[in-house]
Amino acid sequence: MSPDIPLRLLLGPQHPVVNLDSALARSGIGDGPIGVISAAWQEAEADIDAVQRLVQNPLSDLRIYQRTDALFAADKRLHEAYRLRQDRLIEQQRLYRMRLKHLMVAARQTLRTAGDSAVVAAERRHAISQLRALDRHHLGQVEKIHSHFDSTFGAGSDAPLSEYAAAIEEELSRFETVLITGGNVIVLMNRLRLCGLDRQLQQKNIIGWSAGAMVLCDHIVLFHDRMPQGRRDPEIVGRGMGLLPGLVLLPDTKGRLRTKDLVRTGLFSRRFAPATCMTLDNGSLLLFEGQTLRDSESAKRMTRDGKFRRVRAA
Amino acid sequence: MNPALRKLLRKGTPNPADIDAIVRELDFPLVDGPDVTFVFRGTADEVYLRCWISGLDTAQPFQSLPGTDLWVTTIELPKGSRIEYKFDVVAGGTRELILDPLNDVIAHDPFGANSVCQGFGYERPEWTLYDPEARAGSLQNLQLDSSVFQESREIQVYLPATFRSNRRYPLLIVHDGVDYLNYADLKAVLDNLTHRLEIPSVIAALIQSPDRLKEYGGDDRHAAFLVKDLLPFMNDTYPLTDAADARCLMGASFGGVASLHAAWRYPDQFGSLLLQSGSFAFSDIGRHRRGPVFDPVVRFMNEFREQPGRPADRIYMSCGMYESLIYENRSLVPHLQDKGVELRFEEARDAHNWENWRDRLRTGLSWLMPGPAWMVYE
Repeated sequence: MSPDIPLRLLLGPQHPVVNLDSALARSGIGDGPIGVISAAWQEAEADIDAVQRLVQNPLSDLRIYQRTDALFAADKRLHEAYRLRQDRLIEQQRLYRMRLKHLMVAARQTLRTAGDSAVVAAERRHAISQLRALDRHHLGQVEKIHSHFDSTFGAGSDAPLSEYAAAIEEELSRFETVLITGGNVIVLMNRLRLCGLDRQLQQKNIIGWSAGAMVLCDHIVLFHDRMPQGRRDPEIVGRGMGLLPGLVLLPDTKGRLRTKDLVRTGLFSRRFAPATCMTLDNGSLLLFEGQTLRDSESAKRMTRDGKFRRVRAA
Repeated sequence: MNPALRKLLRKGTPNPADIDAIVRELDFPLVDGPDVTFVFRGTADEVYLRCWISGLDTAQPFQSLPGTDLWVTTIELPKGSRIEYKFDVVAGGTRELILDPLNDVIAHDPFGANSVCQGFGYERPEWTLYDPEARAGSLQNLQLDSSVFQESREIQVYLPATFRSNRRYPLLIVHDGVDYLNYADLKAVLDNLTHRLEIPSVIAALIQSPDRLKEYGGDDRHAAFLVKDLLPFMNDTYPLTDAADARCLMGASFGGVASLHAAWRYPDQFGSLLLQSGSFAFSDIGRHRRGPVFDPVVRFMNEFREQPGRPADRIYMSCGMYESLIYENRSLVPHLQDKGVELRFEEARDAHNWENWRDRLRTGLSWLMPGPAWMVYE
């Protein structure tokens, strides 16, 4: 079951204000059954009673997280290879972070410095281009690690994994709409990718909140300025599903970003340009029909100078 | 003088009922911004405040308020300070160290208990308190046969609430682990920080030495015990990430020395160190003056300062400003930084005690072992 032009309903965190129910009602998504992916909740996966109370549509959790765990328990070779891949990804991320730190400091300093505007502007552009080059390089390395794993275990080469992916696909075929909850975005993307769901979801209506919205973008960008140990520089961790090209979604911006530090936000915006960075705070809504924005509520886009402007639908 | 006491004395000698009332109504010690007034009520010949604060007199005398059984003394405490103290009461030729009878806030340590003065601007961090929302990890008691010490050693192991045997976990090794549990609320802290996603789910090995002043003071046997006995035992027993950057050694006071020493003796075994008020005594020339128990520490630290190597990639250090060890801790920072260690040093307006170490755990642990909050978008 697939709609002609799939809808993408993107929401911010569902706490303290819940807007899943009202957003769903105004989205045009019908009252048919919805498949749920709550793998981002990890051990709490499928605990969807509270979500079911909000919506009329019958919900059915695909239990991707639990089923993947069961698959790993049955297929040790796959599990070992998956762990090795994860170790490599962690190592790759560590090295990227090591290099990123210095480039970020340099870029922020060029953005803060005064001087001959023509000279400074050129150095700022170059500092940002170096950041982009590092991001591109990192993405390439991450994809190489994934490709190495996929070449061994992809496309039917591992029977248990193929059976698992086929079972998920079969189950997914019952739904025109899939709801992806928030939670751990890395775990979510890894599990989606393992069973090929990143491809299978393209033709479905998708409702996603927070992490569930982030995975629809080209890339997953992590950010948090308010960690107890201090600020962290935004990092790309890998590709997303690419269903919303040119968009970087920022859930809970108010809680996670120092939005008044225009140097930081401006650098954020310019680093990921030409993609548009959009906020998804609690109560926000973005509704895309295909790739066209049809509706929005409280969402904002980050401008080149680090300010925030309300997003308006076509 | 504290305004409430001034008011009490304004009309001359107060009667016992007025004193009873004020003792009932007020929280002691009396904190008025930076001025803290300690009050003792009772019969005595002399009363002293003892608070073991480097920079203050060891014994601060109280003054008797004429016509009353009240004794008072006032000290200035900078904002955010927290100090532990006792009253030294001299009466009828005897001397007794007692807790402040008017103050219920008490801190315990292996030697007993002290009264606590929470100065202006200090608040106990809420993440150190039991949180019913945070799922509780568990503690296991195990016996480890040590080839190094040729005896069995008891260790406790903390497992996170979400422990699963098919996951892999980073390892935190805690010197004086039982004391950290008892006096620094380590279990509640680990439960809470894990629940808040500020640290990852970790397995912690809580070790306790039967002779800590010897074994923790730069003793090669202890370093060997950690690397040759404890690490293989933990790796065989639990699903651990078998990499140095997933291992953190921590300790306070002599436990800090033991951590630094083991990482120095066995570089590349421990990716990070959490060192609290480390007893990093050294001598630039001549003999140190800290007593014979520090002899091996000073030998190690002098050697270390000469050739620090690179004991770990990341080190978090904390120390109280009101302890004499602040000098040694501050002076260690550039030595480590010069070697390219990524280092974070935090000073606290507190002294050499377990609650100081408790209050620094969030910053230290979350910096050394960042949790998944970074990846979680609820």
